[in-house]
Amino acid sequence: MKTESISVPHDQDQGLSRRDFLKVGAVFSAAAACAGMLGVLSGCGEAAKAPAKGFGFLRQGDLDLFSALAPAVVLDLAQLPTGERGARLGDVLHKLDATCSALDSSKQQELRKLLDLLAVAPLRYLLAGVGAWSEAGTDTLHAFLARWRSSRFATLNAGGNVLVKLISTSYYVLPATWPASGYPGPPARLYQAINS
Amino acid sequence: MAVPDIYAAGIASGWKVVDASTLTAPQTLEADVAIIGSGAGGGVAAEILSLAGLKVLLLEEGPLKTSDSFKDMDESRAYSELYQEAAARATSDGAIAVLQGRAVGGTTTVNWTSSFRTPAQTLGHWATQHDVAGHGVNDMAPWFEKMEQRLNIAPWAQAPNANNSVLKRGCDALGWESHVIPRNVKDCWDLGYCGFGCPVNAKLSMLVSTIPVALEHGATLVHRLRVRQLQHAGGRISGAIGDALSGDGRTPSGVTVTIKAKHYVAAGGAINTPALLLRSQLPDPHQRLGKRTLIHPVVISLALMPERIDGFYGTPQSIASDHFQWKDGVTGPMGYKLEVPPLFPGISAGVVNSFGEQLRKDMAALATTNAVLALLRDGFVPQSEGGGVRLAADGSPILDYELTDYVWDGARRAYLSMAEAQFAAGAKQVRPAHLDAPYYTSWNEARRAIAELPMKKFRAALFTAHLMGGCGMSENPGRGVVDSRGRHHQIGNLSVIDGSVFPTGIGANPQLSIYALSAQNASALAKELGT
Repeated sequence: MKTESISVPHDQDQGLSRRDFLKVGAVFSAAAACAGMLGVLSGCGEAAKAPAKGFGFLRQGDLDLFSALAPAVVLDLAQLPTGERGARLGDVLHKLDATCSALDSSKQQELRKLLDLLAVAPLRYLLAGVGAWSEAGTDTLHAFLARWRSSRFATLNAGGNVLVKLISTSYYVLPATWPASGYPGPPARLYQAINS
Repeated sequence: MAVPDIYAAGIASGWKVVDASTLTAPQTLEADVAIIGSGAGGGVAAEILSLAGLKVLLLEEGPLKTSDSFKDMDESRAYSELYQEAAARATSDGAIAVLQGRAVGGTTTVNWTSSFRTPAQTLGHWATQHDVAGHGVNDMAPWFEKMEQRLNIAPWAQAPNANNSVLKRGCDALGWESHVIPRNVKDCWDLGYCGFGCPVNAKLSMLVSTIPVALEHGATLVHRLRVRQLQHAGGRISGAIGDALSGDGRTPSGVTVTIKAKHYVAAGGAINTPALLLRSQLPDPHQRLGKRTLIHPVVISLALMPERIDGFYGTPQSIASDHFQWKDGVTGPMGYKLEVPPLFPGISAGVVNSFGEQLRKDMAALATTNAVLALLRDGFVPQSEGGGVRLAADGSPILDYELTDYVWDGARRAYLSMAEAQFAAGAKQVRPAHLDAPYYTSWNEARRAIAELPMKKFRAALFTAHLMGGCGMSENPGRGVVDSRGRHHQIGNLSVIDGSVFPTGIGANPQLSIYALSAQNASALAKELGT
């Protein structure tokens, strides 16, 4: 994702700008620096930098983000019975983690910057208008995604797109979700012939 | 077992196949020719050089996956095992999704089988504008014939599936040219799972055609081996160093493999071949290496149809239209080819790129959704020089690609053409795959709205599955990395035999262009090395 420095008129990017204009590139760099510093200050430096248990790329903070965002992106997920929902969400997170783990280093670094930024509460509130992930309602999360994706800043468009696509593709490749996409799976008779 | 696994039988009969992830100690491998990459270029070269009696070493970063592991016909498994970066590869800024194979057979293992000859206009342009010699229409004709025979390439004889029929119907209604796509298949079951690895070995990819013949003739295949560097001195390659990958297929295991060969063939494709040459710091006096990467940028239009489409079933690509390809000449406003993509749930979720209620609706409508794509023909005018490949700190490739106003103009016209064809075919609603585009209910509405769409990265969904250029060929060393026969201009015993030698985009799916050019250049190389 590229950084940009274009002035934003107050009325066009509301949730984002607190002043008449805002240098998005500068904010992103400063925010990334703060993100590192806040981690140290809050005493969760090294532990928070390791992948969560059972994951190759995603850290605990990322799991919080995607656990909140996934049911907002995929409403079907939110509407599953509690037990099933946890298992399905787990499948999505692991699928998503496998994709992130397969990315080249340069892509992982870009994604890491985005996720780190959104992991720090004050920055998340400033840039996304979201408080604690676990308490954010669907409307708030939808507003965040819609705002980023309609922003005139390519950087925010890119961020909004990548979060949505990582979740939606990781969800709809799961065989358990095929009924929701009307995909019956491999044609049964031929599948049997091939696997006999 | 209904479909015998070619490799299980071959390895049992003595084929030399090494999974580098199983190596525990450093190795040195020797050969007449080391080929780095086993896709369309490397696969063809391996067969021709082996049949010429040369001792061939075929090196592949991806894993050996065969029909036995394709039988689950599963989208998710395919992406994670057979594609670069689990099918999440993209340009440096994330704006263009890159679908590229990463397995024995390269992209041919996962492509959709469309096999076109290089258009005469493209070959003519190479000769006059890029100082390319020996690849004119008449020079190439016997090589196209040879590879068409070798890979059983013929226009698809069965009826197109519903998704392709929409394009055909739209073109017919509007009086636009369309044609049946030639495919490299034999005894095809018309399943539609080409992109996940053919479970019945009907697709004559390199995996099941040329590479087995090379192995029959004594070639050695080493997979899960990432060639890090070509070592050079005095204008020659003296050796190559590879890192064996561990079982995950990505992390180096720490075991190093040294390769010693008389001649080296770089065949990693248009991203990985320039990256290898850059890592090796080969001479590049005119700074041509990794430049002019052409990708056939793709834009997509979605249509809600009154009939069932089931775009996941049946031959994925069987109809194409060149109506807008050459209509303004070779160097006029950007030309494009119209085709359709298969519509499996995962890839479709990425294409619709929506969330919440809209995503639910988009996905629920998948079985009645048609998609048309436009391949934009890049690299033919100064306003379309393509992108470039550079290296990350760890030596992995980074692809940059900017879209100029010239390209965006082509993309907008392509959105218009696709919507017009879809409405003409009976679509109820049409929507360009673009963040600012809702579903339009008539061609008139679509025409007005598409004219106003902001054409910007991240707003327009962009894709590529065709990676070309970056080691362009030219008789003029100032304009190319290699000469017309793929021989490196500065290094004596190095050839590039893959799509990275193309001076421009092709204007069609490139696999047959790579096969034929590679066959021609590998045959010349075989002759040269044999004497």
